[in-house]
Amino acid sequence: MSDVVTYIVFILLAGLAVGSAVAMVAQRNPLYSAISLIGVFVALAGLYLTLAAPFIAVVQIIVYAGAIMVLVVFVIMLLNVEEEVRRPVRLRYLVPTAVLLAAVLFAEAAFILFYVNDVPAPPSPIAAADASNVGLTASIGTGLFTTYLLPFEITSILILMALVGAMTLARRAAARPQDLIVPGAQVLPLQMVEPARVGDDTPVESGATAEAARMLGLNEQGQTRE
Amino acid sequence: MIPLSWYLALSAVLFTIGVAGVIIKRNAIAMFMCIELMLNSVNLTFIALSSFFRDVSGQLFVFIVMTVAAAEAAVGLGIIITIFRNRESLDVDDVSVLRD
Repeated sequence: MSDVVTYIVFILLAGLAVGSAVAMVAQRNPLYSAISLIGVFVALAGLYLTLAAPFIAVVQIIVYAGAIMVLVVFVIMLLNVEEEVRRPVRLRYLVPTAVLLAAVLFAEAAFILFYVNDVPAPPSPIAAADASNVGLTASIGTGLFTTYLLPFEITSILILMALVGAMTLARRAAARPQDLIVPGAQVLPLQMVEPARVGDDTPVESGATAEAARMLGLNEQGQTRE
Repeated sequence: MIPLSWYLALSAVLFTIGVAGVIIKRNAIAMFMCIELMLNSVNLTFIALSSFFRDVSGQLFVFIVMTVAAAEAAVGLGIIITIFRNRESLDVDDVSVLRD
């Protein structure tokens, strides 16, 4: 009975994953594609749960369906992407080639399905003894900080590089220091806005410091007036 | 217990759909999402084999794949924003040359 339920759950989740994936490729609006991809991620998280990997399932939801897809949706919204336009196919033999390659890949999948049926035995009795711990957070943390410590540390460097790279790529070209940026307008040279401040070397004729400061556009502390 | 081959076949199908998407789509963001789908199908293979071999290493690989995917998302979307700023388009056919 429990077996039947497991099969039903697998078929439902697999159907959701494949259906969402096909919908993602078929959609022309990138936002709908993103939402379909979230469906794939959620279905895969459910499959991870059926495989007794609760930690990875939760990380899948948080990192993929949460962080990465929020970033993707944010970029789609930011760039105001329009729907893909339908264009004529450039190369006429491209479609038959794609179908042929897909057929080869599906044949490989079918080969796996029908010929690789026997599950190998657990490699060692010790591994079989703590089999129930596989997939729990404690065993993943132990593995991450003992056997795979070096890859873990290299990953942190990778994240740092990605952080710096993303900031470098996405920033705008720096404005010249003498330019003034008016919000909502274009970059103006400072002379156009305040001729008295830059390049104005006419002598100030006045009898008092306060008067000279007023003519130069400075307040009494010698700073620029707002 | 569901046989291992079912999971592997599902993974292969998802990977095929991802490859087809990368080939078919012309929108840079859509291609990016298809690459994420391919990474996820590989993750499914890792988790299935980890579960059937009763070895936690596969799940650690998935952890690292997810980190790489997050880094790829940050850099890839930065590149996409830069392309859009320079070309006012996300169609990869418009970005087929390196010069301006």
